[in-house]
Amino acid sequence: MLLKRICWVLLLALLATANSFAAPTKEAGKELFTANCASCHNKNMKDNLTGPALGGVEERWAAFPKKDLYSWIRNSQALVSSGHPRATELWNKWKPVLMSNFPGLTDEQIESTLMYIDDVYKNGNKKPDGPQTGTTEEKKAGSEFPWLFVGMALILGLLAFALMRIIDNLGNVARVQAGDAPIQKTWLDTIYSKGFIAFTVFAVTLIFGYKTVDNATKMGRTQNYQPSQPIKFSHKIHAGDNKIDCQYCHDSARRSKASSIPGSSTCMNCHAAIKKGTISGTSEITKIFASIGFDPIANNYIQGYENWSEKQIEELYKKWIGQEYMSANSLTALDEAGQHAVENQWEGVVKALKDDSNGKIQGPVEWVRIHNLADHAYFNHAQHVSVGKIECQKCHGPIQEMEEVYQYSTLGMGWCITCHRQTEVKFTDNAYYNQYERYHKELKDGARTKVTVADIGGLECQKCHY
Amino acid sequence: MHNDNGIWVSTEDLMQDPNFLQNAEQEFSVENIDQTDGQWSTNRRDFLKLLGFGLGAATVAASCEIPVKKAIPYVTKPADIVPGVANYFASSFVQGGDYCAVLVKTREGRPIKIEGNTLSSVTGGGTSARAQAQVLSLYDTRRIKFAGNVKDAEVHQMNWADLDKEIKSKLAAGGNIRIIANSDMSPTSQRALAEFIAKYPNTIVVRYDQVSSAALIAANNLCFGKSVVPAYHFDKAEVIVSFGADFLGTWISPVEFARAYAQNRKIKGGADNKMSRHYQVESHMSLTGSNADHRILVKPSEQGAAIVALYNAISGNSGGPQLNEKAAEAIKKAAADLKKAGGKSLVVSASNNLMEQIYVNKINDLLGNINTTIEFGNFSNQRQGDERQMARLIEEMNGGQVNVAIVWGANPAFDLPNAAKFKEAFSKVPTRISFNTNVDETTALCNYSAPSHHQLESWGDANPKAGKYSLIQPTIAPLFQTRQAEHSLLEWADSPNLDRNAEQPYYSYLVAHWSTALFPKQTKYSTPSAFWDMSLHDGIFEIPTTEAPVSFNAGISLNPDGVTKPSASELEISFYETVNIGNGQYAHNPWLQEMPDPVNRTVWGNYLSIPLEWDGVNNINGWKDLNDGDNVEVEIAGNKMICTVVRTFGQMRGTVSIALGGGRENGGCGVGYGVNVNPWLPMDGGMIQYYATDVKLKPTGSRDKHFASVQHHHTMGVKAMGKEEKAVINVDEKSLGYKGFQGSLTNRSIIFQTNLNELHKLEEEMEEFHKESKHLNEQTLYPNYSEFFGTGLKWGMYVDLNACIGCGACQIACVSENNVPVVGKKEVARHHEMTWLRIDRYFYGDFENPHVVYQPMMCQHCDNAPCENVCPVNATNHSMEGINQMAYNRCIGTRYCANNCPFKVRRFNWLDYTTADTWPSNEERVFWAEGDDKPYYADDLVRMVLNPDVTVRSRGVIEKCSFCIQRIQEGKLTAKRENRAILDNDVRSACQTACPTGAIVFGNLNNPESEVNKARNNAGAFAYQVLEEINVRPGVEYSAKVRNTNEGNI
Repeated sequence: MLLKRICWVLLLALLATANSFAAPTKEAGKELFTANCASCHNKNMKDNLTGPALGGVEERWAAFPKKDLYSWIRNSQALVSSGHPRATELWNKWKPVLMSNFPGLTDEQIESTLMYIDDVYKNGNKKPDGPQTGTTEEKKAGSEFPWLFVGMALILGLLAFALMRIIDNLGNVARVQAGDAPIQKTWLDTIYSKGFIAFTVFAVTLIFGYKTVDNATKMGRTQNYQPSQPIKFSHKIHAGDNKIDCQYCHDSARRSKASSIPGSSTCMNCHAAIKKGTISGTSEITKIFASIGFDPIANNYIQGYENWSEKQIEELYKKWIGQEYMSANSLTALDEAGQHAVENQWEGVVKALKDDSNGKIQGPVEWVRIHNLADHAYFNHAQHVSVGKIECQKCHGPIQEMEEVYQYSTLGMGWCITCHRQTEVKFTDNAYYNQYERYHKELKDGARTKVTVADIGGLECQKCHY
Repeated sequence: MHNDNGIWVSTEDLMQDPNFLQNAEQEFSVENIDQTDGQWSTNRRDFLKLLGFGLGAATVAASCEIPVKKAIPYVTKPADIVPGVANYFASSFVQGGDYCAVLVKTREGRPIKIEGNTLSSVTGGGTSARAQAQVLSLYDTRRIKFAGNVKDAEVHQMNWADLDKEIKSKLAAGGNIRIIANSDMSPTSQRALAEFIAKYPNTIVVRYDQVSSAALIAANNLCFGKSVVPAYHFDKAEVIVSFGADFLGTWISPVEFARAYAQNRKIKGGADNKMSRHYQVESHMSLTGSNADHRILVKPSEQGAAIVALYNAISGNSGGPQLNEKAAEAIKKAAADLKKAGGKSLVVSASNNLMEQIYVNKINDLLGNINTTIEFGNFSNQRQGDERQMARLIEEMNGGQVNVAIVWGANPAFDLPNAAKFKEAFSKVPTRISFNTNVDETTALCNYSAPSHHQLESWGDANPKAGKYSLIQPTIAPLFQTRQAEHSLLEWADSPNLDRNAEQPYYSYLVAHWSTALFPKQTKYSTPSAFWDMSLHDGIFEIPTTEAPVSFNAGISLNPDGVTKPSASELEISFYETVNIGNGQYAHNPWLQEMPDPVNRTVWGNYLSIPLEWDGVNNINGWKDLNDGDNVEVEIAGNKMICTVVRTFGQMRGTVSIALGGGRENGGCGVGYGVNVNPWLPMDGGMIQYYATDVKLKPTGSRDKHFASVQHHHTMGVKAMGKEEKAVINVDEKSLGYKGFQGSLTNRSIIFQTNLNELHKLEEEMEEFHKESKHLNEQTLYPNYSEFFGTGLKWGMYVDLNACIGCGACQIACVSENNVPVVGKKEVARHHEMTWLRIDRYFYGDFENPHVVYQPMMCQHCDNAPCENVCPVNATNHSMEGINQMAYNRCIGTRYCANNCPFKVRRFNWLDYTTADTWPSNEERVFWAEGDDKPYYADDLVRMVLNPDVTVRSRGVIEKCSFCIQRIQEGKLTAKRENRAILDNDVRSACQTACPTGAIVFGNLNNPESEVNKARNNAGAFAYQVLEEINVRPGVEYSAKVRNTNEGNI
């Protein structure tokens, strides 16, 4: 009897916990949205992207049972073929853009996502994540000439000189009082004095020595390196204005040592729909199309593109550029400026994409590498992004404000070491760190306030060099 | 004479050769540093020139712009490739009859490392040096790059369609077609062949093996009616007698056998231990013989007599040829042991004499081993060849009866004893086609080359043993315009089953075959595609085999006249296969060429092992006073060749031996090393014999200028007899005086060894030794760091010397994992080999027939490391995880650390071996393969084998074992990302995963549950640190070596 009662209590407790786990939350919704929806649906929920804006989605589906919306999300095409009126309406409006299927999402997960969508739609994105929270230190602070120090040095120099003169004069006064003849020193005498020369030599050696060592250390470093890239890609528009998560494109940063530059196929996730840039128009996005072989006029990928001749490619994309020029300027035929624009933009495509080794337009975009770590230094993005949970901006600077990316940090060893000395390890959040029993004990006893990266071996040679 | 003074490495060691002592005292031999090639003279003017150039170069370099680097992404990123993250693919290593189930590690689509596949019940995750080195042969610059005509040993390109057309017309012209191949374990290849034969019915496949087991197979056919190699269960055998079969190194399936064998060789501390007992009957010391409890020395021509003697001792018969007395006595004791084991024993022989193999079968039958330790249900496909077929083929070709000959992987123009006859006959065949990947000796004689893919580019399968299937999958797109041999055959057979429009036609063919032939054999998967996917994922597919009990054919009569007659000749020679280059099929792989022969420790070529003679008083000399590196002229049956001598302990008096596989003439960078001994091999009853009698040997007075043996390189802690005192002292402390310094009177601990029956005595001794060492080590001013290392991770290793067989798989795995460069023969001769892990070979016991201990020696990661204290720039220091770290970019090359290392494990980059930053004047001295236009590692193709996670070291820096730090870092990151504690599985060192016997265990010492701690605790007092008493606190522990010798001490 007692046993039975205990069983019941346990069962109830179990149910309760299960329930509390499954309850939909906004926070869970945010994660789900970022993981599954954000690649096609705008994060502000108000504007269309590859897919429609999601704000108010529940109202639009209000006429149908909630179940229908769930099945739409899990498998939209199934619902379309079943002849559901709302589904058919949507398909007719958006085809041929297909919505991905998410058969694995539970009702609770969908509900969480919808809660998040509704929250953002109604209250706006008050707490934006990622790109906006970066540091806003001044861009080239280090490069400004230190006028203050030069001024100070000049004033102090003059002061020292005046003091020397005063000492000489006082010495003479003393001599006169003692009855000796005063030694008359001119300015030149002072300058030629042993002490002054010795001091000058010492100072010059010190300054030049310091500068030599300092420059030698910086040799090969390329802080502020800002090469021009084959595509005028703006991080400001993508990460700043549109708030695309860094790891949407640089997806290997969380799991690999390389953050890796996204392939053209990743660009196409959005640019299959966004075929013209707000600033650059067709000139830059056409390069992506020409790289991967997307026909922006017919809205499809070209079969057998790798075998196309340059002439064929030229014809297609010139047509596309011209067509867009005409429609933007409400023309029926290309005017002279239009022809000029077409030629210019095509030249840009050729310059950006033509591979010297095989003379082909097709193929990857050859970006200029900005961050070049020395070969003997090992750096792992996953360690910093996934484990350390460091913001990208910590090393890469206010990337969301950069029209063109430049190297923000020195990438020197001193810079790494400083950070490893200062950064506190998220020691209690990760079961991996349980093995550091002594530190845990010290933290508990209050003998230690924090554990830095340096404390767990972050300054050791083979952390980075092997 | 029995030597009671412990271990030794060579005669120089035993006899305190002054040069040897000097070398042992110093990290680098003086003569070799100064050794000039006539180019090293530097005077003041040169110095000033260099100084001026250096300054100028530095100025120019400093003002140069930093080169623009490109970052090129994928156009469409493949879903399963993440740049910077390795992918592993299950596959198989197959070369003729050599087999290993493997995982291939690829980075950004290129294979860089081979690991064992633990799912396979054949190899169980173990690998061999040959399998490990497979990745390098993929990036061989000498591979044939396209199909074509062969003229003057060069391939002139044709497109595949034209080639197919020409060859098809020749095939269709009628006449006999012969395919020449080695053993083939692939069921799908067999099917492709069957289709080819169906189309051209006058085709016959002729198979032979590089090293023949034809007599074994023929004997099994006669005795048991099974024309195969049976399964041998070394794990079930309590007594093993091997007549010349090197089953741990090269015989049939060494990885499988070594794994099984080692199971009965491990010992435990504080317990009663059992071990198998292993007798090896041979004349030269093989890898297997060096691991045996007893080596019974018989001349090669006495092997038959020895087998008959064993048979007589077991059956109670008498008669048969005369055997030397000592061996006859020993055989009797072995027979008694075998009988006692009662069906739990195993007698094997590598003899290629039919009657001897029949005797061996009969012995096993009498002992009750048939169907227990030897069984035919699980028979092996690893040896199928029969050289008698080749003899027939040569006759046919001579008679003009063969119109088309297709060479498939085999190289008969090199590895047949009658290669000269073969070449002559082969040239009479009008159409000669080769599938081989390199222009080897046979391909050079062909008129068409239809090069097949390298195995890492191929689809395929293997069926090494009955019921054990495994798949081969490509891990890289073909590098060159090659085509798989099976595809070519099917194409020429106009096969309707080959889908020519498929992206990978042979892949579709393979899938189809597995779906029809293998899918029905299992019930686990309901659809062929699920079955295929899982088999491909696992790399293997295994089904239980039905037992096939056999009985000995009573009609077989044993005739002692049929076995080899002992020869009365003064000198006999035996020919053996080494673990590295085989019979030449691996000779073009520099990793394997530079891997020392386990016993005589020579590299780059094959050397004539000669016996050592003890004068009964003080001296041990080479036979005929020959010295290492002397050239001799050897004449066998009128055929003379010049060989270089290496003096080898354990080589029987009156015999010499030499490895097969040297002296390749064509096809790769092994050309020009060693001598081709195949023409010396005699034939008996149509079968190749691996020994010869009536050998004439004549010193030539010349020497091999670059004699390359690593015997005396990096010698450590050698003990020798004090000249005056006749007492054991340590030579490295000789300079300190004999007495009065801590440690100088202690017995340096490098190897501990004993017999099984004296195990408890050793245990007590070792307990005492540990206590004494502890006491000595506590007399220090330095603080105790045990608390410091007690938190977090502390890496450590355990090497079980009882399981270590010295096969060298770990060494090649280390080379592959850590970008260790190949330096070439000349540089090895100058003590400049770079291997981070070496396998030291020590002798003990009887001078004339000593026992061997192998000791893998790598950086010991001392917690109180002598190297760290002496580095002036702190380039080497200690991590809190107990790793002795080496920062290459900080090293300025003083080499103080190497000099101060008691274990001699630090390696210095004397030259720019990896051509990391080449200056042309540097390049001349590093390794060039003959005929290449640039240094070996300067080729971009070869460099694809480099592990991108490990720095390529440049000239002037020290390097050494890092405990595979890149694997440690990766494992730690995986654990952190998964929010969990680190496990044994996360970090395994390259040497550990490569080992076929599980001798090396690596892990976290702070985790009491870790494998390494368990292994150490299990060994109890038998676990020791090398030089434990000198307070360097190594992170590596070894176990004492135990042998199970017969009390009679034969």
